[in-house]
Amino acid sequence: MRPSFYDHLHPPTIPAAQARLRYTLGMGGLAVFLTLVVGFTGILVTFFYVPTPEQAAKSVQELTFLVPFGWLMRNLHFWSAQLLILVAILHLLRVVFTGAYLPPRRLNYLLGLSLLVICLFLDFTGYVLRWDEGVHWALVAGTNLVRSIPLIGGGLYTALVGGSQPGATTLIRFYAWHLFGLMLILMAVGIWHLFRVRRDGGIAVPPPELRSDKERITRTELSRREGLAMVWAMIVLIMLAILVPAPLAPALQEGSVSASENLAPWFFLWVQQLLKLGDPFIFGVLIPLGALLIVALVPYITPQRLSPAELGRWFPHGGRNVQILVAIVAGVIILLTLLALLPLHT
Amino acid sequence: MHVIAMNAMPRKGDPLSRRSFLNLVGKGSLAGSALISMGVLVRYISFQSEASLPTQYDLGLASDYPLGSRINVQSVPATIIHDSQGYHAISLVCPHLGCVVKVTSDGLSCPCHGSRFLPDGSLRNGPASKPLNVLRVETNADGHLILYTS
Amino acid sequence: MRRGLILASLLLFVAIGFAVLQQYRSLKPVGITPSLTGQVEYCLTCHADLPVISQSHPVETFGCVMCHGGEPIALTADLAHSTLRGGGNPSDLSVVEASCGGEKCHSGTPQDNRDHIQRVTTSLQATYAGAIAQVRYAFGAQPAPTAQMGVYAIDGLAAFDPTSESSPAIQTFGNNCLYCHLSAEPLVGDEYIRWSGCSACHSPAPREDGTLVHQLTTSLVYTQCNKCHNRGNYSLLDVKFHSRQDAPTDRLHDYYQPIAEFTRCEWTLDCADCHTRQEAMGDGHIYNNKKEIQYIRCRTCHGTIDSLPLTYTITDENDLALRLAFLNPKVDLKVGDTILMTDKGELLWNIRVLPGVEGTTPTNELFSKATGQRFTFSPVMGSTCQQKPDQQDARYCHECHATQR
Repeated sequence: MRPSFYDHLHPPTIPAAQARLRYTLGMGGLAVFLTLVVGFTGILVTFFYVPTPEQAAKSVQELTFLVPFGWLMRNLHFWSAQLLILVAILHLLRVVFTGAYLPPRRLNYLLGLSLLVICLFLDFTGYVLRWDEGVHWALVAGTNLVRSIPLIGGGLYTALVGGSQPGATTLIRFYAWHLFGLMLILMAVGIWHLFRVRRDGGIAVPPPELRSDKERITRTELSRREGLAMVWAMIVLIMLAILVPAPLAPALQEGSVSASENLAPWFFLWVQQLLKLGDPFIFGVLIPLGALLIVALVPYITPQRLSPAELGRWFPHGGRNVQILVAIVAGVIILLTLLALLPLHT
Repeated sequence: MHVIAMNAMPRKGDPLSRRSFLNLVGKGSLAGSALISMGVLVRYISFQSEASLPTQYDLGLASDYPLGSRINVQSVPATIIHDSQGYHAISLVCPHLGCVVKVTSDGLSCPCHGSRFLPDGSLRNGPASKPLNVLRVETNADGHLILYTS
Repeated sequence: MRRGLILASLLLFVAIGFAVLQQYRSLKPVGITPSLTGQVEYCLTCHADLPVISQSHPVETFGCVMCHGGEPIALTADLAHSTLRGGGNPSDLSVVEASCGGEKCHSGTPQDNRDHIQRVTTSLQATYAGAIAQVRYAFGAQPAPTAQMGVYAIDGLAAFDPTSESSPAIQTFGNNCLYCHLSAEPLVGDEYIRWSGCSACHSPAPREDGTLVHQLTTSLVYTQCNKCHNRGNYSLLDVKFHSRQDAPTDRLHDYYQPIAEFTRCEWTLDCADCHTRQEAMGDGHIYNNKKEIQYIRCRTCHGTIDSLPLTYTITDENDLALRLAFLNPKVDLKVGDTILMTDKGELLWNIRVLPGVEGTTPTNELFSKATGQRFTFSPVMGSTCQQKPDQQDARYCHECHATQR
């Protein structure tokens, strides 16, 4: 009997080492699952969301308070989105710290990094769609940050905002990006990323001749483990959705006065902290892009020191350089995030 | 040998073994979860917000509809007829697929698929299979005509 | 199935069960669509037991959000109350225009008698311009006791700022003596507790046990006014407020401070029975002190030895007097009734001239605005009163008519 489409998703057998949770943490697979949940709940939420400045926050409140299980769908959408960013970052760190970026996986590494950036933009555009007082200043600061880029900033701002300041056109464009533009790019890059995983020989482990562990598992066994992980992930998502609601604030008013402290969404807190230091372009665009560049260059920094025999385990000796580099970048970003949470003025 | 045999495949006639029971619980939980989730989705999608069509309309003073008149009220939409037997109303919504019928010299005709009706609302030719709905009209204490759509 | 998956499936089922439970245990929204806004509001989900605030503000017409602000569809307290105007009191003067204003409501034209907000915000009780002028004049900060500053800037008055005053006495005045204007935080104590803004007079103060009364009324008892008035005296010697020290046990002694003797009607009736709307709420102009706006005299109701009080006969169905009588139903006023009138033309709608015998002086009936109790009285003309026509201040009437306390 010829294998079905479903059967083609996995090879008939894979090395057992590739499926060890202690090695992979399961973060990649979890990211795929969270993407499915966020997409599905996203479609459901779109049934009730109205993308006009007068109706947006109101429709979100209607969804939360009046629609049966509307609160559940919105909270699931919110939590799967936030966890997706977290899981994607953990996946990135796992890939770096286990040396899984060596050829032939270099392209896939860059694809994965792009996926992280796309997810961050999806999260930000989704955040803005609330169009309530909680997002007002993130919208203003974020779009003005784009304007600070020399030469192309002005044009980029107009393309993003659709006018001289955020308004109805901005909302519709963010809606279009969130539901459509970014989603299509995510699908395309995401499918390419998953294809490359198969093409590059699955999750990185030493080549067969250097492998000490010869055990293999079937695709059925792999599917069982994935199914189990999905059930556990769903339980966590549902409990989060019940116990910790997604943020809600009154509708955005033109000309409203900001609170004494306005915090950026959590994944951009580190950028907000940087911006306290001075010029928006340098601290808000250049330095974050610099951090991204460092992470992107990981597969090209002394790759010859790491041999394929060292793959399959954490902190291989040959990858020490990039591990320290990425650990420093991650540490700085975490530190900046924590500092951003301290009060502005003592 | 004896111990291994204890965990062998359950035979027909065996009381429900622990393994089969747990299996049942597991599959049952998944099935139950799936069923309830279906229910949740159905409830979610079926929600209707408060705004729905009104069931009654105030047509204004009864004296605006003199004896012998046929007046169209586009907001309902309906035709109000005042004859010797009192006030009547005929809905202008075609019973076929809901288009608003047009008033012609000899009756009413639907511009979508060609249904025709006599002036009293009865069916002349299809594809509609029912006449135009007759709606109830009453006069209230202030002398206004009230039209009921249900 | 393996044990791990069985456990996980069970927990998933339980988690979904929790979600369903959460939905069915949540508050059933109770909605109302007020006819003036056409937007549904769900405040009644939690606040259904609130009494209707007044017969002129039915909830089916106004709803709650039109006056109070707030988020109409939110069902959590924090979100629902986050945009409330003025906290629990939308009539606070800082938000009163948004809450109570509007051409057809309370910031319309004087011709329609709908200019309440404009009158109140320029009144002495709101601006405190009179007291500020007197104190600044007393300590040499201005050459005459004319109104130049109020507690907020309005209509030619600047905002009084104690910190930019050079005289320490005036600075102390700013700290110690600004507890009795319509935007002030009252002094601590049950005898002072009141709302701010319109509600300072028109809503009952929070009760002693802390519960609040959701009510707007035009039927004002003297105790409402006495939240600020008759509470004590300000002394310019030590620039402090000295509260009254007596412990009154009856209305006669409670009504006024022990500073003078008053006639029987001054402590039997309530303040609003004599003091007119313009006196209490202002007439839209800035005055220099209380005396300039207080113009009610004994003779306004009683007339003088050679003139009857001014009267006014209601001819129009839409007369202001009928509207006022409707808002505070204590007297069955009709078209054709004759009521008393002040010399500024303000209508004393609760005092009606009784139809009398031709040729005799007419008697009047007064209905208390607070209790509806009926009093009859005759004018001075034709009585044995020994007043002089040019001595019409209260102190002259008090010489004979004041009650010993």
